[in-house]
Amino acid sequence: MRYVIRKLAQTMFVVVVVTFVTAVALRFLPGGNDVIVGLKAGPGATKEQAQQVIKDLGLDKSIPSQYFKWVKDFITGNWGLTFQTNETIASALKRAVPVSAYLMVYAQLVALGLAVPTAVWSAYKQNSRFDRAATTSAFGMLSVPNFIVAPVLVLLFSVQRKWIPFPATYHSLWDSPIEHFKAFVLPTVTIAIPLYAGYMRVLRADMIGTLQSDFITTARAKGVSTPALLFKHALRPSLFSIVTSAAVQIGALMGGVVIVETFFTLNGMGRLTVESIFRHEYPTVQYCVVVLALVYVFTNFLVDLAYAWIDPRVRVSRALG
Amino acid sequence: MGHSSRPSRRRPGRLLAALVLSIGAIAAACGGGDSKSSQTTTGNTDSTAPATTAPPPTTAAEEQPVPGGNVVMAIEADTSSPWRPAEMLCAIACHQVIRNIYDTLAMPNGDGSWSPYLAESLTPNADYTEWKITARAGVMFHDSTPFDGAAIVENLTRAKNGITTGAILRSVTTVAIDPADPMTAVVTVEKPWAAFPFAMMGQSGYMASPTWLKASDADATLKSKPVGTGPFVYEKYVPNEVFSMKKNASYWNKPYPYLDSIEFRPIPDALSRREALLSGTVDILHSANGQTIADARKDTANKLTEISNNGETAYSLLHVTQDGSPLTDKSLRCALAYATDDKGLIDTIGAGVAKQANGPFSPTQVGYLAETGYPMTQDMAKAKELVAAYKAAHPGKLTISLATTQDNTNLVTAQAQQQWWTEAGFDEVTIDQIDQAQYILTAALGKFQVFQWRNHGGFDLDQQYYWWHSSGSKPVGELALNFGRIKDTKLDTLLDRNRASADAAEKKQIAEDVNKLFGEECYNLWGSWSIWGIMSKPTVHGPVVFELPDGKETAFGAGIAGTFYAMNLWVEH
Repeated sequence: MRYVIRKLAQTMFVVVVVTFVTAVALRFLPGGNDVIVGLKAGPGATKEQAQQVIKDLGLDKSIPSQYFKWVKDFITGNWGLTFQTNETIASALKRAVPVSAYLMVYAQLVALGLAVPTAVWSAYKQNSRFDRAATTSAFGMLSVPNFIVAPVLVLLFSVQRKWIPFPATYHSLWDSPIEHFKAFVLPTVTIAIPLYAGYMRVLRADMIGTLQSDFITTARAKGVSTPALLFKHALRPSLFSIVTSAAVQIGALMGGVVIVETFFTLNGMGRLTVESIFRHEYPTVQYCVVVLALVYVFTNFLVDLAYAWIDPRVRVSRALG
Repeated sequence: MGHSSRPSRRRPGRLLAALVLSIGAIAAACGGGDSKSSQTTTGNTDSTAPATTAPPPTTAAEEQPVPGGNVVMAIEADTSSPWRPAEMLCAIACHQVIRNIYDTLAMPNGDGSWSPYLAESLTPNADYTEWKITARAGVMFHDSTPFDGAAIVENLTRAKNGITTGAILRSVTTVAIDPADPMTAVVTVEKPWAAFPFAMMGQSGYMASPTWLKASDADATLKSKPVGTGPFVYEKYVPNEVFSMKKNASYWNKPYPYLDSIEFRPIPDALSRREALLSGTVDILHSANGQTIADARKDTANKLTEISNNGETAYSLLHVTQDGSPLTDKSLRCALAYATDDKGLIDTIGAGVAKQANGPFSPTQVGYLAETGYPMTQDMAKAKELVAAYKAAHPGKLTISLATTQDNTNLVTAQAQQQWWTEAGFDEVTIDQIDQAQYILTAALGKFQVFQWRNHGGFDLDQQYYWWHSSGSKPVGELALNFGRIKDTKLDTLLDRNRASADAAEKKQIAEDVNKLFGEECYNLWGSWSIWGIMSKPTVHGPVVFELPDGKETAFGAGIAGTFYAMNLWVEH
């Protein structure tokens, strides 16, 4: 219980700090309020009209008072409208979060689903032809950026074969599952390729170390089968690095896949955040940051739990305070 | 314009390169929006295809439209602003979308003039200081609000008070219902304005439902759900994703529209837009990208219609009245023109699709001249001579800054200009890359010396009034539509005379004089005239001209470069 309370306190602290820092940092963007006036009012605005726009949006107040108003709005659920489209910020986020969440989950599932067995087998068969092929291809995948992978995939599967529609159109998983997966398959693969390569290399290295441990030798001597040896005995203590790496990637994927989202015209969190920054939509950016911060904190919470599952000593040390 | 009919031979390697380049550009811009939205360099015009004034030839199939079907169109940008006529920041893609919801009071016709459209008539008094606009009888907005004089008054009053549209309607003094006729609105203007109907062909002339306008005053979320009288009815708008609309079965101008529905999808990157067509996801698109048009000319599996009439000019805008700037000196401005090799830029960066511009008016616009006095060929010796003379009279370091976007093509153009101008004798030429959101603002605030831009399409010189008249110029730091802060009494006089004149011959002469003035003064560095390509699947028919209520044909395109009327599109099914 104390652990949960501590985590909640940490979460609140993180959210307050990052949103305040964001609020301050946004004011230093080149152009300042002029950008908002220009976009909202148009280039023909008179001085008076420009001032009215600033006043209407509350931008004439000090940064702290704007921030405290934002906090109040956040708590009361009165999140307001986006400056440009007059859409409620809540609905913009409601639209963007699932897109990024699905993208993140699918990419992680694909990457981990392929990386774990490949890494385990590669470590077990160290220096074999399979191992060399796996590590070399992983090197290649890490060195090819997603802005190369995406167009290649589009060329192969959308332009030439016409199997997958391009650009993607988001559909709800529940309303239209086939269209949903069609929309996500290429973006998922684009993101999953470097993830897979990273995970594979990390896990392989840890597995090689684990397989050289005394308890593995003992297990072998006891006649434990190879699959059991690898997946029951060796894999679990080798998961620390890959779990940490996956956790870090989850947060990064939520907000950092703007290139992939833009290329495939998926309206996810990355695109919403970046475009809001360019338009100086301060409240929207701050809400985006809240979402991303919560994802980070929650993910780290899950990772902490995972550590305890992976290594009982962590659980014991926590219990001892 | 033209239609392709040869079979397609796609080159995977080339397509791949194009795709890689396209996403690379996105990466460079870091999701910064539309790299082609409002400013391009010389990559968008055509030196090989003839300038277009007439619609493409129709086939037998095109003469027998089939109602029904759906079309998905890829557009170059999302407006991402309220869809209310007086508030929209409406670039080309915005007009392409919203003119399906809103009708305009007038439309450009094939004679290069205007015809009433949603208005039954637009009638001036003797000295053009008053216009009577009569609503077309029997027309209803999509929400069943009747279109009448009150609706016109509501819309024009809002346009007059709107920030962008207000700049266009600045000289309107009153808008009121005609006491003698509830179907008629009376507009008075402070000075004779014979060209007033041209202002009713665009954003200021869009008619929205007064009921909806008032409702959206109270509930801002309604602002993105427009209600007009147009051929299609709003169905769904998701910013940056889709704007879909369905057929207005009660549309007053029968037999339009043919389609059951149309969907617009913003795909900012031109090459990605084309890949979307090739992948079959979209049915039709528009693009001003030279490489895309060049590729489309070779792609014979799909159709290509080029629109170059009344289009825009890509150019380098100069701030000509800034205190202390060397660009206040005419000879130095002309030195920049002499030093620039526009033809070279067109051939290298624009895939040879471009046609070099010699002024703001393309060959199909009133005021076009084959010779304007503007330097059309690079003459580095002359440029060096002018720069040296300036430096002799103004000792000190000669520096200049050049603003461009984060778009790679624009940057390459800027780098070429930087190289040429340095060679001509400038001590330093700096390039300022500005993100998309701030770009137009930088121009409006006048915080630049040289600025890559695209503008000045249209039919009548009056449509350029607010861009060039000194009344649209304000001090640096204040928003103004006369971006270059031109203050030229001769130019003002010409613009005012044109505004007041209804004599076609006189207007032509005035526009030509303006063109020459720009050539002599080197107020801007003209680059190329825009060509827009409309690419579509072979099963999509249109765009074509159609007959207006007054019996004249529409202008090809829709009066704004890169746009066309979707109501006469139809698909084979």
